[in-house]
Amino acid sequence: MKGLAAIVQHSSSRGALSALLFTLACLGFFWLNGHQPVALFREMVLGAFGDGYALSETLVKATPILFCALAVALPARLGLISVGGDGQLYFGALTGTAVILALGDLSAPVMLPLMLLGAAAGGALWGALAGALRARIEVNETISTLLLNYIAVLLVDYAVHGPWKDQSNLGWPATSPFPAGAILPTFFDTRVHLGLLLAVIAAVLLYIFASRSRWGLGLTLLRSNQRVGRGAGINYPLNVLLVMGIGGALAGLAGIAEASVIQGRLQGGLSAGYGISGFLVAWLAGQKFLLIIPLAVLMGGLQASADSLQLFAQMPSSSAVILQGILFAIVLAVGGRWRERMVP
Amino acid sequence: MSDLFSPEMLSFIAAALRSSTPVLLVVLGETLTQRVGVINLGVEGQMLVGAITGFAVTLASGSPTLGLLAGMFAATLLSAVHALLSLYFGANQIASGLAVLILGAGLSAFYGIPYVGEKISGFGSMAGVPLLGPLLGQLSVSVLIALLLTPLIGVWLYTTRTGLAWRAVGESTESARAMGINPLLIQWLGVLVGGLLSGLAGAALSVDYTSNWIENISSGRGLVAVGLVIVARWNPYLALPAALLYGGSEALYLRMQTWGVGVSPYLLSTLPYVIPLSVLVVTSGRLRQRGGGMPEGLKAVFKGS
Repeated sequence: MKGLAAIVQHSSSRGALSALLFTLACLGFFWLNGHQPVALFREMVLGAFGDGYALSETLVKATPILFCALAVALPARLGLISVGGDGQLYFGALTGTAVILALGDLSAPVMLPLMLLGAAAGGALWGALAGALRARIEVNETISTLLLNYIAVLLVDYAVHGPWKDQSNLGWPATSPFPAGAILPTFFDTRVHLGLLLAVIAAVLLYIFASRSRWGLGLTLLRSNQRVGRGAGINYPLNVLLVMGIGGALAGLAGIAEASVIQGRLQGGLSAGYGISGFLVAWLAGQKFLLIIPLAVLMGGLQASADSLQLFAQMPSSSAVILQGILFAIVLAVGGRWRERMVP
Repeated sequence: MSDLFSPEMLSFIAAALRSSTPVLLVVLGETLTQRVGVINLGVEGQMLVGAITGFAVTLASGSPTLGLLAGMFAATLLSAVHALLSLYFGANQIASGLAVLILGAGLSAFYGIPYVGEKISGFGSMAGVPLLGPLLGQLSVSVLIALLLTPLIGVWLYTTRTGLAWRAVGESTESARAMGINPLLIQWLGVLVGGLLSGLAGAALSVDYTSNWIENISSGRGLVAVGLVIVARWNPYLALPAALLYGGSEALYLRMQTWGVGVSPYLLSTLPYVIPLSVLVVTSGRLRQRGGGMPEGLKAVFKGS
C-alpha cells in the first residue's frame, strides 16, 4: 500500500492509474455480462473514435457535456458544488424555444443570436436562483440544484404536452418543427454544430478570465478565505450569483442547441444525462477549464460508444451510465486523501 | 369540524401516508447517517437498487417480505461503496454520493429491463384485521413499519448509550475518541444503516406502493429526502411531518387530477419538488441564526471547501 500511495502522489500517474483501473473495470463488466471482453472493448473504442462518422457523433455528444462541465467548474471556483446542469439545460431550451415561437420565421442571422440569448438567459435564471438561495440564506446549492433539475424537466413536459403542443403531431408531445432560421449551422455534413465551437470558446474565455483577470483573482481569494476577500471589497453574494448565472447560461445554450440541431423541435428527453456527465468531467479535470475540453470529448466518446455496444452486444444504453459511475468511483478512490495517511 | 373526519379526508390522509412512506424511510436513514457526520446523496441510487432487487425477488419467490429484505441487503452493499470512498479513501462526500447515485441509477436501469411491465401482488390488504381493519385497510405494511420505526429511532438516538455515542461522533470525532468511542466504526455503521433504510424505502416503493418496476422509479424521492433531513433538523421525530410535505403534495396533486382541476397534470406534478424546496428555503433563515441542530461534523461538508 505504501508503494502504491507513493505512486499516486504524482497527478500524472494518478491519471494513468485511473485509466488502467477503468479499462480493467470495463473488461470485467463485459466479461460478467457474458461477452468477449477484449473484442467488445475494441468495438467500444472504434464506436467512439474509429472513423469520421464515429468521431463526429462523439463530438455531438461532447458538446452538451462540455457546456455542462463548465457550468460545474465555474461555481467550483467559489467552492460551490452545483449539480444543476440538466435543469439549466432544460430551462434554457424552454426559454430559447419561447423566443423562436414568439418570433416565428426569421432569417438565421437575426434569429440565431436572439434564440441563443433567450436560452442563455433562461439557463442563467435557473442557475442564479440556486445561487441566490445560497448567497442570501445559505440553502445548500447541491440540494437545491438537484431538485431544480426535476422541476425544469417537468416544466418542459408541461409545455410540450400543453400550450406548445403541435396538434399535427398526432399525439406525440412536441412543438412543431423549428423554422429553418432557428437551426444552428452544422459542419462537414455531420451533426457537429456551432454549439461545439461556442463551448470551446467559452472554455478558453473562462480560462483567461479566471486565471488572468482581477475578477478571477477575486474568486480565488474569496474561495480560500471569505473574510479576507470581503475585506478586500469583493462582494461574495454578487459573485455567487455571477458564477451560478454564467454557468447556467452555458448549460442553457447546450439545451437550445440540442433542441435545435438534434431534435429539430422542443420535446422531452433532451438530455441523456449530460448534466451529470458534465459534473463528472469537471471533477476528472480538477475543475480546470482547458483540461475539461479533451475530457469532455472522451466522455462524449463513452456515451457515443454505448450505441455500438447496443448494436454489437445488445447491451442496453444504461451500460454507459454504469461505466460512468465506475469511472467516478475509481477517480475518487485514486484521488482521495488516503495517501496522506500512507506516506509520511 | 365534521369535514376533518369525513371519509374523503381520512382517505386523503391515508393516501398521503402511503406516498410519504418511502421518503420517510430515507429521511430516517439519512438522518442517522448525517448524525454521525456523513452526508450521502447516493440514497437516490440506493433506493433504485433496493427497488429493483426487491421487485425481482418478490416476483421470483412470491414473498414480498423476502423482497423487502433483499432490497435492504442490496442497497446496504451499495452504500458500502460510499463508506469506502468517503471514509477509507477520504474522497469528497458530495462527489462520492453522486458516484453512488450514478452507479445505482445505471445498475437498476440495466438489470431492470426484463422486469418492465411485470406485475406482482405485494402484501395485500389489511382490511381483514379485527377492530383496526377499516383503518388499516387504507394503509399498507410498509406504512406501519415506517410509522413504528420513527419513534423507535427517536428513542434510541436520544435515550440510549449507543445513541449518545452516535451523536457524539457527529459533533466531534476528536472528543468521541477521547470518550473511548471508535468514530470510524460508528461512521461506517451510520452510512450502512442509512443504506439499509434507503433499500427498505426503495423496495417499499416497488413492492408495496406501485407493485411494478419502471426505470428511475424513485424519481428524486431520495434527493428530496436529503433536503427534508435539514427541514426536520436532524430530528427523527420531525421526520414524519417533513416526509408528509412530499407525500401530502403527491397525494394532493393526484387528487386534484381526479377533481378535474383545470391545471395541467405536468404542472401539478412539480408540487412534490416545489413544496419541499420552498419549505427548505423558508426554514433556512432560522437554521442560519441558531444552527438549527446541524451536527458540527457536517458543517465542513455543507459550507463547502
